[in-house]
Formats: sequence, C-alpha cells, structure tokens
Amino acid sequence: MSLLVCALIPLLAGAALPILRIKRRNLRMLYCVLATLVASIALVSVVLRPWSGSIELFKLSDRFVCELRLDGPARLFLLLIALLWPLATLYATEYMKHETREGFFFAFYLLAYSEAILLAASANLFSLYVFYELLTLVTVPLVLHEKDTPSIRATRIYLCYLFGGAALGFVAMVVISGFAYGPFRLGGILPDVVENPTLLLWMAIMAFWGFGVKAAVFPLCRWLPKASVAPTPVTALLHAVAVVNAGVFAVMRVLYYVFGTAFLRGTFVQSTMLAASAFTVVYGAVKAVRENHFKRRLAWSTVSNLSYMLFGLSLLTPEGMAAALLHMVNHGLIKIVLFFCAGAVMIQTGRTQIRQLHGMARPMPYTFAAFTFAGLALMGLPPLPGFFSKYCLITAALKTAGPWQIAGCVALLISAVLTVLYIFPVVIPAYFMKLNAAAMPLPRETCDPGIPIRIALGVICAAILALSLFSGKLIEVLTAMAGA
Amino acid sequence: MIVLVILLPMLGALAAYLAGRKREDVRDALTRAITWAEFLAAAWTFLQVNALHRELALSLPGVCALGLTFRADGFRSIYALVAAFLWLITTQFSGEYFRHSKNKNRYYFFTLITLGATIGLFYSDDLYTTFVFFEIMSMASYPWVAHDETKAALRAAATYLGIAVLGGMVSLMGLFLLYHRLGTLSFSAIRAASSDASLALPAVLALFGFAAKAGAFPVHVWLPKAHPVAPAPASALLSGILTKTGMFGILAICMNLFVGNRAFGNALLGIALATMLLGAVLALFSTNLKRTLACSSMSQIGYILTGVACAVLLGEHGSLAAAGAVTHMVNHSLLKLTLFLCAGCVYMNLHALELNDVRGFGRGKPLLHFCFLMGALGLAGVPLFNGYVSKTMIHEGLAELGGAYHIPEWIFLFAAGLTTGYMLKLYIALFLQKNPDAAQQKRFDTMNRRYMNRRSALALTASAILVPLLGILPGFTLMPLARISAPFVNRHPVGAIRLFSLTNLRGGAITLIIGTLAYMFVVRKWMFRPSKGYLNRWPHWLDLEDMFYRPVLCQGLSRILCGVCSVLDKLIEGRFVSGFLARTGIAILRVFDELTDHLALILRELLFASREEMHRTQRDSIFIRMACVCADGVYAVSRRLARKHPDERTITDMRYGTFATNAISFGLLLCAMAVLFAIVYVFSRV
Repeated sequence: MSLLVCALIPLLAGAALPILRIKRRNLRMLYCVLATLVASIALVSVVLRPWSGSIELFKLSDRFVCELRLDGPARLFLLLIALLWPLATLYATEYMKHETREGFFFAFYLLAYSEAILLAASANLFSLYVFYELLTLVTVPLVLHEKDTPSIRATRIYLCYLFGGAALGFVAMVVISGFAYGPFRLGGILPDVVENPTLLLWMAIMAFWGFGVKAAVFPLCRWLPKASVAPTPVTALLHAVAVVNAGVFAVMRVLYYVFGTAFLRGTFVQSTMLAASAFTVVYGAVKAVRENHFKRRLAWSTVSNLSYMLFGLSLLTPEGMAAALLHMVNHGLIKIVLFFCAGAVMIQTGRTQIRQLHGMARPMPYTFAAFTFAGLALMGLPPLPGFFSKYCLITAALKTAGPWQIAGCVALLISAVLTVLYIFPVVIPAYFMKLNAAAMPLPRETCDPGIPIRIALGVICAAILALSLFSGKLIEVLTAMAGA
Repeated sequence: MIVLVILLPMLGALAAYLAGRKREDVRDALTRAITWAEFLAAAWTFLQVNALHRELALSLPGVCALGLTFRADGFRSIYALVAAFLWLITTQFSGEYFRHSKNKNRYYFFTLITLGATIGLFYSDDLYTTFVFFEIMSMASYPWVAHDETKAALRAAATYLGIAVLGGMVSLMGLFLLYHRLGTLSFSAIRAASSDASLALPAVLALFGFAAKAGAFPVHVWLPKAHPVAPAPASALLSGILTKTGMFGILAICMNLFVGNRAFGNALLGIALATMLLGAVLALFSTNLKRTLACSSMSQIGYILTGVACAVLLGEHGSLAAAGAVTHMVNHSLLKLTLFLCAGCVYMNLHALELNDVRGFGRGKPLLHFCFLMGALGLAGVPLFNGYVSKTMIHEGLAELGGAYHIPEWIFLFAAGLTTGYMLKLYIALFLQKNPDAAQQKRFDTMNRRYMNRRSALALTASAILVPLLGILPGFTLMPLARISAPFVNRHPVGAIRLFSLTNLRGGAITLIIGTLAYMFVVRKWMFRPSKGYLNRWPHWLDLEDMFYRPVLCQGLSRILCGVCSVLDKLIEGRFVSGFLARTGIAILRVFDELTDHLALILRELLFASREEMHRTQRDSIFIRMACVCADGVYAVSRRLARKHPDERTITDMRYGTFATNAISFGLLLCAMAVLFAIVYVFSRV
C-alpha cells in the first residue's frame, strides 16, 4: 500500500498546486521541492524493504488487470528516478525563474513523477501500457510549455510519434493478451506450446518499435531532438532519463518478461532488433557530431546511447540485460548533468550554439568542470562509469558471437570515437580558446549559476564518482537480477 | 605502498590546484614536495624489490569492475623510479620555465595527475589495469600539448588526442577479444597462452594503441607535431616517459605472446626499421631545435622496437636483444630529459626555437654546453656514454639473427650515423656558430651567467651527469638493470658481454664516419647557406598527417557517414516515405473518422429520435440518412485523395454539423483497430 502512497504524494501535490495558489515564489518552490523530496524518501524506503505483494488498482477483466508489484528492475528504475527527481526539481526552481507560468509547469512536473513511479512498478503488460500512455499525456504540456511556433511544432511531432508508437504497442498488447496474461515473470509468461509463433514474432517486432519509440530507435527517433525546445528541466530529466528510459524499460519487460529470451533467441526478430539498435547507435552519434545546437546535440547523443541499451537488450542474454540496465543508470546520471550544464549556460548567458561556447570555462568554471567530468564519463574514460557499461555490453555481445553481435561491437566502438568528436568540441574550445565577449556580451564577470543548480550538479557528479568506484558491485547485483 | 605511490600525486594535484588559486609560491613548493615524495617512495619501492628481495603485489578485486592488480618487480620498479625521477627534475625546472606563462595551475594539476597515472601504469600487473591508466594518462596529458593555446598548439593537440583516442579504441577492442578468449588479462596468463595462434589478431589490435603512443610508424604523426608546441618540461616527459608507456604495453604483449613468431617478428622489424630511419631522416632535415629532438625520439623508439623485434625473432635466446631494448628505454628517457631541458633553457630565454634564431646562443655558457654535449654524445652512441651500451646490445642482437638480416644491420648503422649527423647539426649551430646578426649575438652574450637560476641549473646538471656515469660504469649500472628486468621481458638474464670488443668499437666508428659525412654533405652543403642560414629542404606537402590521415579520417570518413545519414534523413523526412505514409495514413484515418462520426450520428438518431430539435433539423427517414452518410464518406475520402480543399463542407455536415469528432474519435479509432486485428487474429487461428 505504501507504494501507492508514494505515487499519490506527487500526484496530489501536483494537482493541489494550482488550487493552493501560493503567492510567494520561494514558498511555492519550497513546496515543490519538499513534495518531491518526501515522495522520494518514501519511495526509497519502500524500494529498499523486501516486499513481494501486489496492489490491484482496477480490473477490466481477468486478462486486463491494472496491478503494481516490485521486482529487481522496477526497484532499480525507481531508485534512479527517486534520486534524480528532487534534484531536477531543485534545478528547475532556479531555471524556471527565467520562464513564465511556473505553477502550471510544476504541476505537470509532479504529475509526471507519479506516472513514472506507476510505470516502473506496473506488474503486467496491460498496466505497463496504461501508464506508458499516461506518461506521454502528462508530458505533452511540458513540451508545449513555451507555446511558440517551434514548441507547437515539436509537440505535434511528439504526439504523432509517441501515439503512433503506442498504437503499435496497443495492438501487440492486445494480441499477446490473447495468448498469455498475468504478472511479468523473468523468462516469459508464454505457455510452453505456442500455437501460432509467427504471429507472436510479428507482435514482438511491433512491440519493439511501439515501445521503442520512447527509446528513440531508428527510424522513430526524430521526436527526441525536436522535443529539446522544452525547458531544460524537462529535457534533462524526462527526455534523457525518465521518459526515454521508460521506453527501454518497457522493451525490456516485453522481451524478457513477456516473451522470454528462449522464444526470441535466434529468430529474425532478434537480428532485426540488433541491426536496428546497432545502426541507431552510429546514426545518433553522427547526427550529434553534425548538430550545432547545444541541447539538440545532447539529444542526439541520447538517441545513440539509448540504443546502447536496446542493443544490450536485443542480445537476449542475462548479461545483455544486466549491461543494458547498467547503462540505463550510468547514462541517466551522466546525461542529466550534461543537460543541466547546457541549460545553465543558456539561462545565464543566452548562448545556445556550440560555437558560441569558446572560452566559456573561464566565466563559468563550475558548470564546465561538471560538464567535462560528465563528458569524460560519457566517452568512457576507464575508471568512470561510461566505460563499464561499454565493457559489459561488448563482453556480453562477444559471448554470443553472431554476425550482428560483432557488428554491434564495431558500432559501439565507432560511436565511442564519435562521442569524443561531439563532446570535445564543446569542452576543448571552452577551456583553450578565447572568449568572444564582443559579439555576445556576458552579463557579469562570472556567470556560474546559483546555489540550487550547483547543488544539483555536485550531488549527481558525486553519484557518478561513487558509481565508478562501486561499479563492480553494481554489475554483480544486476547480473544476479537478470538471472545469470 | 603501491596505492600510496599512485594516489599521492593524484590527491596532491587537487591540493596543488586549490593552493594555486590563492598563492602561487605555495603551489610551486607543494608540487616540488610532492614530486620529491614520489621520487623517494619510488626509490624505496625499488630498493625493497631489488635489494631486500620483497615481492610487492597488490590486487583490488571488484574495483573498476574487473579489478585492478599491481606488482612491483625488477623492471616495473625501475621504470616507476625513472618516471618519478623525470618528474622530479622537470618540476624543479618548471618553476623558472613557466615564470611568465599563463594557466600554470592547470599545467601543474594535469602534470601531477599524469604522474599518478603513469606510475600506476608502470606498476600494473594485467593489461586491463595498464589500459585504465593508459587512458587517464592520454587524456590528462592533452593540456600539456595545448598549453600555449595557439592555433598550432591546438592543432597539434587535436592530432595527439585523435591518435590517442583512435589507438585507445582499437586497443580496447583487442583487449576485449583477448579477454573473451582467455578469461583474464593478467600478464602471467598471457605468458602461459603464448602458443595460441588465435590470439594473434586480438594481440595485434591491442598493440595498435600502444604503438601509437610509442610513436611507431605509421601512427607517429602526433609526435613531431606535439613536442615542439608543448612546453619544454612537458616535451621532456612526453618524449621520455609517455612514449615509454606505449613501449611498456608493447613489451608486455610481444615478449609474452609472440615468442619466436617469425612472421610477426619480421613485420615488427620492418616497422621498427621504418620508424628508425624515417625519424632520423626527418630529424636531419628539421631546422627547429625541438622538432629535431622530437623526430630523434621517434628514431630512438625505432631502435627500441628493433631490439624487441630481434628478441621476438630469436625467441628464447633473445635475452641480449631484450636487454638492449630495456636499457635503451632507460637511456633514452634520461637523454631526452637532458636534451629537452637544454632546449627549454634556450626557449625560456629567447622564446624561439628555429635554428636560425637561436644560432650561437650557447657560446660562453659552459654549463649549458656541458649538459647538451652529454646528451648529444649519449644519443649518438659514442663509447663511454650510455647510448653506446644499449645500442651495442641491440646491434649484437641484430647480428645474432645472421642470414639475410645483415641488411637491417646496415640500416641500423646508417640510422645511427644519421643520429650523429643531426646531433652534430644542433651542437654546431648552438655552440660553435655565431649568430649572423651581431647585435643578436651581443644580446646572447649578455645573458651569460644569468640565463637560468640555480635550481634549474642543478636539475639540468643532475640529469646530464647520469649520462656518462651510466656509460662509464655499465657493469654496475646498466647491466644489473638489464638483469633484473629479465623476468618481465620473459627472457633469461643476459650474461657478460664484451662491450668494448673490436667489432663493437668498429660499429661505433662506422656510425661516426657516416654521421660526419651526413653532416658535411647534407647539412652543410645542401641545407646551410652562409647568407640565409639553415633552410628547410623538406617538401611541405610531404606530411603523412596532411596527406593521409586528415583527408581520409576527417573528410573522407565523416563525409561517408554524414552522407549515409543525410540520405536516410531525406528518406524519412522527405517526400517518399513520409509523404506516402502521411497520405495513406490520413486517408485511412479519415475513413475511420467519418465512420465513427457517422456511427455516432446514427446512434444519436436512434436514441434521441424523439427530441424536438432533432425533428426540426431532419425529416428524412433513417435509410436516406445512411445513404447520405455513405455518400459523404466516399466523397470525403475522394476529396482527400485528390488533395482538394479539405474544408469543404459535406452533405451530412450541412445537415447535422460535426459532432463528437474531436473527443471520442481517437478512442474509437483504437477500438476499431483492435477489433480489426482481433478479427484478423481469429481468422488466422481458424
């Protein structure tokens, strides 16, 4: 029951925000931060307690039950968002000073938290689908926040892609429910003898692309860079961590917990998935190298990195799943820092293009130190976490050495080189080139953001450092979770 | 102990950085203290291992996923000591060198980080640990090259980073494959698996990154670019230690995996000779002080690689060649330290490095003269200097091969001769010739006795004095070094050799003659004009980086990748796919839309037929209405497909207005699709 309370806290707090009409800004911000913080603390306490019960929310029929449970991956995902949501809210309190309609924004921001919790904890395919749709709906106003032409256009694309994907997912969900239903089980819930495997295989493909839309798999990845018109707290948390990881998470549930790896291994479904994800890894990275807009470049990098996870999942081995989950955590922490820095530069100096960032490390030392650190981690400099996910992915792929797996390894290494090519052109000119203050005057001598943003950056960087030290432990836990 | 030695400079870097933000003198003192402590710690480890015969090993399982393992045996403790020594000397020198430089904090920070990474690398006991520290070192040494922030420096630094990253990635792939085959990467396991032929490809991939760092042909391109633009203390470290980290990886792989492998040995020998010869030729043609020294580094790496190749070819019996390679590594580190510090001394006074600008600077400066002479004689391999010892051992190794290998032997002697030639060029230009501009020469002369402070002078002398010391007493210095390194290179300890036998001295004499001839005919007759000074005769276009790497990697490859991506983008966003998809999608949606609208309408008609307003608007019977609806549907679809104006009102619209279009159509659409698929599914099961 306490799990439900955790989901209800941000839901009610978000719904109450427009009703309460708190006049003073500081109080309002305090209210938002406290609400997420309380929800996170409650969530962590629930997640860390061994609890294997279930909560039934509603029931349409025996086949369609909306139910919540907690298992390993759910706990992992919940811990990740429980760590990041309060920090992102903290970041938003400073960031949103520069935007309008804060109350509206924070209400939906809180609602999205509750939807993400419900999605992570959903116990079967039907409830997963329901919360997946709800998460899309709740985030639409956040993308639309600016209400200008680019954001309206972006929202249209966002809706098109995500609802189109959801429709595919819906069909797959309905058909799969005809074969088997019930709570997720590692190894699949399909009966031993399946009458029409070809149809189910096609459904697996549909589900992969349907739920993969949120994970931005090629060719359904265009929405993600477009959605970076949203305020940075949204891009950083939702479009680098929560929403996109929900897509990866859903794909994992479908592949490992509904179909089961034994059913899919070696079929055309696997090779299609491997090819698509390996291609997206390179494609996203190339697009990132070519992109000149700071936030969009990071968004393309997210596209590439999400496909690292999908590639791991498509290996259909426990090691692959462990590697994907590891990269989910690592990338989540790293990318949120990168976006926070991009947003901080944007609000403090109004610079949004890569080539405007020359020499910016001097006026913003703190921001660029965090960016460099996270950038190195993303590149996979050995003791930092990005390296370990790459290591786990490649060793997992080599273990099942098929042609597509080897191609995927090569794609990962190419993309690693490309990662250097899209991170360093930000970092190096920032430190080693002259500041162009004449064309774009800086408001002050030092433009580092205020305390809330610095705290958020510092905490997550510390978390990345901790992750790099204890990654061995984490890999063990994840491998055990994946049932190796 | 080992953890302490590695972590001390890393933590010290942070302390020095923080201190440097407030007080510069405190930071400089702190940095010096840290390098002293590091040197003493490395020396203590060295003594423990070699004098007290204690085995120092450490394994940290679980740290960094695979676990890190360290071991301090003979060779590793020697190299850690050499590295600590180089850092100590360069740091003593840095204080004066960077007096007027900017970004000193950054320099010291990254220098200390690199020190920690390098020491960690030299103590590593498995290739994974080696790689972890190798990558940290590569990244942390980037700010050295880019330090001056000039255009040339940034370009050289980009090349450095590009080669390091590419090499690192290829190596990583090789290490992953090795790990996949062996299940571990520890040196002892690699040694045990040496006969496995399937390990050749992974090992060669793994070698790539190390070879790139060592500066072997054809991935040497960063080396001649990076050294001249880096600050002199950093150049000394780049050339003295960072290239040796690459050699460390090469030794670890080649000496263990390829014992007696003819094909690999010959290939390596080819690369080694090419590196040696190309480096020497480039150095001879260069007219820049530091660039000459940088190309010379490349050439000397070629010598070391030759030793490694001979040891590989000779297999079990290659202990002499292996010993030559190892001792030449140590010698070259010390020689390049001396020479680059001399170059740094020139640069910090004149801010110029072109030979024409610095000509005659050394006149009347005995200390600088002495130090440079020691370095030059050592590098040229003159008997009684340290270079002679190691070069002789490598030469003996090469001679042991016999047969058709006398051609490589001649190349070896020729390259050694060129070494003498280009050192002669530098020495004569700096110390014997007068600057053609008399005023300039006067300025140089006024600098006598105050061209460097006492601390720098001490550091320079300390590094220079080692050169003859090691050369005169090889039996007490270099030979024991070679003997205690033998376990690391997987060979028996080398026995006594007669360094000053007639054949060896004859080899030395031949190189000196070739060197003098090269100087006389190439440098004096062709490159030097009394009126214009030294001319750069190397054709501009002949540059592997500009001819091959940059066009192929930067333009060719990126163009291909970008081209593929943009074609795909056009496909997705362009007229073909999205136009087709959109049009069919809209048509289908429209059909469903109309269908649901009209279903709803009919429902309304049926359920609310008695309402008054309904009666007012419609008089027709239900059949007529349904006909209208059908006609509307077809009409609307046809209009849509014909891309006519979509807002034209339909027959039904005129009668009833749109109703319920927005709210429920989407839900009903999904239902309809589900029903459709359910029907398909039912049929497929029947």
